Amino acid sequence: MKQQLRTVLVFTKLSTRRFFRDRLAQFFAILFPLIFLFVFGSLSKGAGGHATFKIALINQSNTVFARSFTEQIKASKTFKVDKTAVTLGAAKDKMSKNQIDGIIVLPADFGVVQRGQTYPSGQARLLYSQSSTGTGQTLTSVMQGTFDKINSKFVKTQPPLSVKGQVLNEKSLTAFDYTFSGLLGFSIIGLGIFGPVNVFPELKKQGILRRLHTTPLKVWQYFLATMFSQAATGAISIAIQFVVAIKVFDLKVDGNYFEILVFTVLSIFMILGLGLAIGGWAKNERQAAPLSNIVVFPMLFLSGTFFPRFDMPQWLQSITAYLPLTPVIDGLRQLTTEGKHLTDIGPQLGLIAIWFVIIYAIAFRVFKWE
Amino acid sequence: MAETILRVQKLKKVYDDRPAVDGISFEVKQGEIFGILGPNGAGKTTTLEMIETMRTIDSGTITVAGLNVAEQPNEVKQVIGVQPQTAAFQDKQKLSEIIEMFAAAYGERVNAKEFLDEVGLGDKANDFAENLSGGQRQRLSIAVALVHSPKVFFLDEPTTGLDPQARRNLWDLIRMVRDKGVTVIMTTHYLDEAELLCDRVAIMDNGKIIALDTPRSLIKQLLKRGFKKEEKVEQANLDDVFIDLTGKGLRD
Repeated sequence: MKQQLRTVLVFTKLSTRRFFRDRLAQFFAILFPLIFLFVFGSLSKGAGGHATFKIALINQSNTVFARSFTEQIKASKTFKVDKTAVTLGAAKDKMSKNQIDGIIVLPADFGVVQRGQTYPSGQARLLYSQSSTGTGQTLTSVMQGTFDKINSKFVKTQPPLSVKGQVLNEKSLTAFDYTFSGLLGFSIIGLGIFGPVNVFPELKKQGILRRLHTTPLKVWQYFLATMFSQAATGAISIAIQFVVAIKVFDLKVDGNYFEILVFTVLSIFMILGLGLAIGGWAKNERQAAPLSNIVVFPMLFLSGTFFPRFDMPQWLQSITAYLPLTPVIDGLRQLTTEGKHLTDIGPQLGLIAIWFVIIYAIAFRVFKWE
Repeated sequence: MAETILRVQKLKKVYDDRPAVDGISFEVKQGEIFGILGPNGAGKTTTLEMIETMRTIDSGTITVAGLNVAEQPNEVKQVIGVQPQTAAFQDKQKLSEIIEMFAAAYGERVNAKEFLDEVGLGDKANDFAENLSGGQRQRLSIAVALVHSPKVFFLDEPTTGLDPQARRNLWDLIRMVRDKGVTVIMTTHYLDEAELLCDRVAIMDNGKIIALDTPRSLIKQLLKRGFKKEEKVEQANLDDVFIDLTGKGLRD
């Protein structure tokens, strides 16, 4: 037994070393996920934080109040004022192209102090497109809220009813938190499935696996060595992604790195089983490629890699919860940004364990050396 | 008389109702170079693969060094070395690492340099396998097949595609392996090779062994039957001319 494990370690060492010499393998394991991290990281960072509205502001009034109100809007983080749309016509044109969410028009009499009164008054007009009534209504209430604040300064009244928002969970998840754990899941898929699926048929074609079969080497030894070396290269790839996410995208890691590592390695083992099953079964690339796509694509779209699962209808969520990659992504997010521990994510670990048993039972049964 | 190291009895393999190997029996003595000849589809490779534990046996028995192939495939694997038809190795792997890897597959620890020196690749220990020439790759393949000191060494058409110099070098290597006491069993398409190298040959056709003897006595038997070559026998052939002009030195 000790001898057989030494065989596994020698194979692990040599195949890990091979990875560090193989530029193409490095590209797919490390650079490729990083490209996705930059693309999707930038996208979700733009949309992250609190909501912003892109608006055009048409001020037709000369009053002091209108001018200072305009400046406030421009300084506000809630609004992003389009500087190019200065006329109503240009603004409407932009809105019809869906480039802005709405148009705020301050009419000529906006902010005029009416006779017999001490404060300015007026009515701003908010124009929004029929196709985005939801945004329009939100925008209307945001504007109303802004005016309410100003009103209360001019007219000292205590409104009988009011609402005060209170932040309950300071560690609320940002869009990037979802994106990041999804991208980690994506790179585990890339490492675990596309790696063996590309390599095994080639090794079979050249008779390299067949030659190994003439030796007393066992399938489990070969699998175990592949698992270990994939875990090593995968851990490096994931670590680099963490560094980039922290440095570039301000990822706040609230969790234990050791637990993240353990969970990552377990996830790679399980997902790699899919690659070993497909690559081990397929006689050639023509069998391997379509099957791997059938297995990978549902997970890519439904496990929360690029699209958060909470956006899906309930019935779809309850089905996709059982895909192999879903507990991986959920677990990684909870360990990384939600401050959870391995002991908190029992359901995810359990599901990974169940899939592990199923997948490897199949992989051992269908493996062919040639 | 040397002892029998391989015994094949009434070996049979059927593919789609067509017998690929049709009840053949033969024995190989320790220290022999034994050739299996025959046209394509004669059943040479299937026979070899069944002995190597790579293919299931439909009926009949094979014993290698006293081990039953069907019952003890793992033990058999430990005492045989197999050189496949194509000598392919994974890219980005040093020669010394390939030796280390195969040794590990047999549960052995070896000095890779020694094995590479033996086949004249010692100075390439740190090269990658993909940078080797065809002949060098065949020699590496032989070194790999011997890492666990097997008792029987199988080669499947080892010299196919090699230039005359590389072929001669490989013959020398095969003789060297035999001189170490390893029994060599090989298939080949080249009859001159079989005549020069093999102590005994079995000629197969349609899954049956149709002749089994030393090359010399097979030729004698043929001549006894009144066979005469149509053309005049030259004292040398084109092969000899080629080697005379280009020398025996190995081209890598």
